[in-house]
Amino acid sequence: MLEIKNLHVAVEGKEILKGLSLSIQPGEVHAIMGPNGSGKSTLSYVLAGRDGYDITEGSILYNGENLAALPPEERAAKGVFLAMQYPVEIPGVTTMTFLKTALNSQRRQRGESDLDAVGVLKLVRAKAKALNVSEEMLKRALNVGFSGGEKKRLEILQMALFEPKLAILDETDSGLDIDALRLVAEGVNALRDPARAMLVITHYQRLLDYIVPDRIHVLAKGRIVAEGGKELALELEAKGYEHIVGQAA
Amino acid sequence: MTLALNLDRKAQAAAVVHSHGVPHRRVEEWKYSDLKSALGEAGLGAVMAEWLVRDLPAGVELFDLAQPHPPAWVSAHVARPTQNVMNAASLALSAGGVALRVPAGATIGAPLKLDFTGAGHVRALLVLEDGASLTLVESVGVADFRNVGFEIVLGNNARLEHVRISPRDADAVLVEEISLHIPAGARYRGHFAGFGSKLARMELEIVLEGEGAAAHLSGVALLDGKRHSDVTTHVIHRHGNTNSTQLFKHVAAGQARAVYQGKVTVAKGADGSDSSQTAKALLLGDQSEADLKPELEIFADDVKCAHGAAVGDLDAESLFYLRARGIPESQARGLLLQAFLEDAIAAIESTDQRELVRTELLTALKGIA
Repeated sequence: MLEIKNLHVAVEGKEILKGLSLSIQPGEVHAIMGPNGSGKSTLSYVLAGRDGYDITEGSILYNGENLAALPPEERAAKGVFLAMQYPVEIPGVTTMTFLKTALNSQRRQRGESDLDAVGVLKLVRAKAKALNVSEEMLKRALNVGFSGGEKKRLEILQMALFEPKLAILDETDSGLDIDALRLVAEGVNALRDPARAMLVITHYQRLLDYIVPDRIHVLAKGRIVAEGGKELALELEAKGYEHIVGQAA
Repeated sequence: MTLALNLDRKAQAAAVVHSHGVPHRRVEEWKYSDLKSALGEAGLGAVMAEWLVRDLPAGVELFDLAQPHPPAWVSAHVARPTQNVMNAASLALSAGGVALRVPAGATIGAPLKLDFTGAGHVRALLVLEDGASLTLVESVGVADFRNVGFEIVLGNNARLEHVRISPRDADAVLVEEISLHIPAGARYRGHFAGFGSKLARMELEIVLEGEGAAAHLSGVALLDGKRHSDVTTHVIHRHGNTNSTQLFKHVAAGQARAVYQGKVTVAKGADGSDSSQTAKALLLGDQSEADLKPELEIFADDVKCAHGAAVGDLDAESLFYLRARGIPESQARGLLLQAFLEDAIAAIESTDQRELVRTELLTALKGIA
């Protein structure tokens, strides 16, 4: 589903990713772990298509298609979803209006018909309950005044609503207490599907206690320096990044 | 024969116009709106523009200022002396206009729709007597040049909601001066939507002159091409325990220019006055311009005055967030612009008028985003 080969990415002329390769098949959950500044967020942004992240070498194929050639909205319509580390607050747009606009924009790009307000509301309600997203939150301006946990729950609600093929979760655990983390992780686990691939990006091992990955890649200084099964997370937790990064260098 | 706009007052006004001349950019208050150059050789002219009241609501009295023998309520308030040059010009150079009155205690349910059309100068007077209540919807027609001098007089505890929509046009030069007197317990809510023309300027002078008087102003401007919009306000807290708020949101694309000049004066002894002023602008083009000039003049103690102004661009992070959720760029930009303007629109109390302004904005946004 996702084939990243020898990816080099520069931000404002500075190379951040330096030859990253990664392959994910449908149904798999991969984790990317790495210390601060290793290029984790750069990877998530370049996959989602943010401006200012220049691919200088290498390629990203998504279902055989050159992902880099598509604007962010087309990637979304084709099933790429990025749950962001810092969801933005947009005063003046209610959460419900945003969800409806986004959902129908994606549908339209896929040649599907719009869902009416009632249809969207039903769909959102059905998914919101499990994530403890209240009606009141849906009426508020998007993310405005939401707690860290509420913001992350809303990200996962969107993931449930858009039903992406490739979901990238960027530091979804950051800023969450253990109860909020558990709720979010349950939401993610409920979306595990043989047709869906997930890339979980995190600094800490604790998220992977709840979302257990099939494979773990350790990112340092813009490259994958170690790979392994879920037990690698425990090793990292015990010995720290320095140990593994140092070995690789 | 008694004329509504009496000749002495017209002569005084003509003297004011004569001594100042047509305002131009070297006059401080007109720095961002060069009327003289916009008018060119045609100058101020001396034609009378037209007014139109569609479906005068029951309970509202109307008098044509071009007619002789004005009733007492007109004579008492019309054509107050002014030092404002364009206000004076509208009096000196027009032969008439419209006067409207809502009697004491009357609550008018239907909105009063007042249109200004044609080129030239015209006067308007609106009197709300004690305890009266009205929604005024003012529509500004396109003309090569029009200058409206509008006097609004409120009685104690009167309530006026005023919605004014200024059209999008490349060539029109539209100027209006609104002066308001707000006595004890009276409240004015003014909302101004501007879509920009060659030169569009609305001046508001508001005097809060009684205990509990309040003025709440809000407005949006959405400009593209070479269009211009200027909102110039002066709110004077002459009496203590009065309240004024201002919230203006402007968007300029292309080579458009959005101007907000807002002055708040708190007179000596007007203790307990409370005022706030917020003006924000988004610039969408390399050559678009916003001039925001909030100003405070305080001569009293124990007042609460806040002001702020900010100019920026659409937030790149928000734009990316929306696009990453599948919303195409132009639609995402439109949504963010709408969001930026939203609180200024939400300030309109009447649902019908709020939706009217919202619809106009959405139409204009399609062309800009």
